[in-house]
Amino acid sequence: MECPPNRYTRRLLLWALLCAVLAVAVGIARREGWIPSSLRWVAALLPVVPMAGYFVGLGGWLRSLDELQRLIQLEALLVQFGLTGVVVMGYGLLAKFEVVPNTGIAESWAWLWMVLFFSWAIGQLIVRRKYR
Amino acid sequence: MTNRLRVLRAERAWSQADLAQRLQVSRQTVNAIETGKYDPSLPLAFAIARLFEQPIEAIFSPNGVSHE
Repeated sequence: MECPPNRYTRRLLLWALLCAVLAVAVGIARREGWIPSSLRWVAALLPVVPMAGYFVGLGGWLRSLDELQRLIQLEALLVQFGLTGVVVMGYGLLAKFEVVPNTGIAESWAWLWMVLFFSWAIGQLIVRRKYR
Repeated sequence: MTNRLRVLRAERAWSQADLAQRLQVSRQTVNAIETGKYDPSLPLAFAIARLFEQPIEAIFSPNGVSHE
């Protein structure tokens, strides 16, 4: 019973892929002006739908883990939350004080997801080492 | 908490993976319990006791209290 079980990994990857594909497709459609104004809010929120599926799948994956693996995920989540807060807020403040160039990246959701992903990976490394 | 899991497992010539499979947990969990890095929940401690056919207190004891 090593984590993560394959069926959950596949399902999560599919949801993430669907989310990315929809985000790109909607972005192109918006840029080309293919979306009628009455459907703009539907198109804007379309990539969020698979994201909900992703988190439902994530819940299933967590429930399939044993108690130590769940504890590891919880502690990794704590590292992720803390690290993301420090990086995003730190960069935002540095940009506000004009110590680093204000490229607008700090306000971007793509930047936030990237920081979330990397801080989760760092959390996994730290916590897994602790229980090795 | 200290435990005799490694000794009991060795007596039966089981690998950590064997024990993990019997307990339906990961091998990492068995290793973490054996090395004292993780204290199992009560349901898992009962499952371990049932598997080795011993009372829980014969397998687990608080720090500073040695097994007989």
